Amino acid sequence: MYETFAHTADLGLRIRAPSLDSLFAEAGEALMSIILDDPTTIEPREAWQVQIEGDDLAYLLVDWLNALLYRFDVGHRVYRRFQVQVTPGGLSASAWGEPLDPARHRLQREVKAITYHGLRVEPTEAGWLAEVIVDI
Amino acid sequence: MAKDVFQGPLEQVDETCWRIPKSYKPGMRVDGLIFTDETLLPQIKKDQAPEQVANVAFLPGIQYASLAMPDIHWGYGFCIGGVCATDPEEGGVISPGGVGYDINCGVRLMRSNLRLRDVQPHLRSLVDELFRQIPTGAGKSGQYAFHGKELHQLLAEGPRCLVGRGLATPRDIEFTEAHGRLEGADPDLVSERALARGSEQCGTLGSGNHFLEVQVVDEIFDDEAARVMGLEKDMVCVMIHSGSRGLGYQVCDDALHMLRKVPEKYGIVLPDRQLACAPVNSPEGQRYIGAMRAAANFAWCNRQLLMHQAREVFQRIFGRSWQELGMQLVYDVCHNIAKFEEHTVGGKKRRLWVHRKGATRAFPPNHPEIPEAYRKIGQPVIIPGDMGRASWVLVGRPGSMQKTFGTTCHGAGRAMSRTAAVQAAGGRRIDKELEAQGVIARAQSYRGLAEEQPKAYKNVDEVVEVVHKADLSHKVARMRPIGVIKG
Repeated sequence: MYETFAHTADLGLRIRAPSLDSLFAEAGEALMSIILDDPTTIEPREAWQVQIEGDDLAYLLVDWLNALLYRFDVGHRVYRRFQVQVTPGGLSASAWGEPLDPARHRLQREVKAITYHGLRVEPTEAGWLAEVIVDI
Repeated sequence: MAKDVFQGPLEQVDETCWRIPKSYKPGMRVDGLIFTDETLLPQIKKDQAPEQVANVAFLPGIQYASLAMPDIHWGYGFCIGGVCATDPEEGGVISPGGVGYDINCGVRLMRSNLRLRDVQPHLRSLVDELFRQIPTGAGKSGQYAFHGKELHQLLAEGPRCLVGRGLATPRDIEFTEAHGRLEGADPDLVSERALARGSEQCGTLGSGNHFLEVQVVDEIFDDEAARVMGLEKDMVCVMIHSGSRGLGYQVCDDALHMLRKVPEKYGIVLPDRQLACAPVNSPEGQRYIGAMRAAANFAWCNRQLLMHQAREVFQRIFGRSWQELGMQLVYDVCHNIAKFEEHTVGGKKRRLWVHRKGATRAFPPNHPEIPEAYRKIGQPVIIPGDMGRASWVLVGRPGSMQKTFGTTCHGAGRAMSRTAAVQAAGGRRIDKELEAQGVIARAQSYRGLAEEQPKAYKNVDEVVEVVHKADLSHKVARMRPIGVIKG
């Protein structure tokens, strides 16, 4: 489950999930939801795999979202489905999506970067909570 | 993270300056000083921007005060509108957060010989054509691609390397801050990822608050300065607001990644991770500086190519060359940058690293870094406002050297968050509303327009009033938009 929250010039993402794996997967969805008007227009035609090293969960979240942002900026790739496994030394993830198609995908914003400001990844009674502010 | 009202101390110093004393938080090395007035102050207290001014005062080697301009708003780490100068001789640091992700985000203004009456009949086709020709929004590649050696050259030399290709003129370079080139740029310190993000984005506008506007000189406040800059009432101009695109964002991100454990290594205690920094005289500090300067040079190339494309569109629409149309660059100035400059602190001349995060250099008359033609009037400062009201041209004043390390404001500053702005729009078509006011606006996204609507910003006239009164910079001309393209 994710939502956006207000931050004056930028935009915050708040994600809640029962497990760390689903927290990271939902963070991927949350990012896509602010880049595209309607992420359900993305067809999961191709898969992309990535491994990221790191033992600090908050930094790992930044690195994961940055990896997606880089794929969008350089390869013009958008993703709809995510599967993430968080391990003690990092994460391995798969994402399914396709190349950006202006005829079907309506862009709503350019995300410049994933910031460290107010960054949190924490366990809660119901699972996990993450907050991250993106630079618009 | 709650958007709490600032509860800390704000003591009035004079008509345009308020102080957060360094006793506010243990760890503050200097006071915080916010340039504002009674009208803007309540807005500033509404969020945590003043807290961020206090946090910046923790940085090692900071001189005089952690400063904020009247367009201050809540950023990440540093506030937007923040200025911080550090002395490397006193362990001073360099902080990528004090520059921002969009390294050398800035503004340029181009004049023309056209009057409002010449452009009005063609305005719609002009704006449509600008929107067709100039790549805007996310995920767009431009018509120019620079790879390998060519890209390295852009990063090392800035727009002067575009002169040979007919994409810039020596006059354009003359009227660009620092001649569009920061010495010491090291393209080898720019990562492959950053190069890949930048290679096809030079000459693209981007999204968010970036824009290209067709504007009209609405009112002149300083006849002599306006004459020297070639500005007259009713003249049509083009203002461009953009930065270093994905290349710069990646350079900042790479630096923040590199700096994750560096503050600890040098025993630096910080109240916010986004303030990550390294001593200027450390290998990590030098690495960031070399890459940041390269990204700044790239940003100047980006704005140069955006201007070149705008000139081509004007040529097509008006059937005359851009030279005949008098489309000359007035000035290009950056507002997200760190530069090594000479300033006087406590009666002593020192070389300091001045971080300007959403703040504009405003050197006074006779400063050697101002182009010869402008030396008597002071450095032109270009202040983009919102797309419904106004933008401004100012000139730097001596007060800036005495109070703000040669700096003034950079824009209107946001008054509403993006989320609140979309709610306030309530599904209304902002482009239709603007059209009713005589502004033709084209954007990739209606939501983007709603987030950037005039009401989302403070009134730029009020911001300018403060810097004028504080003698940081003086009013020269007020510009009003008639055509806008955005991402």
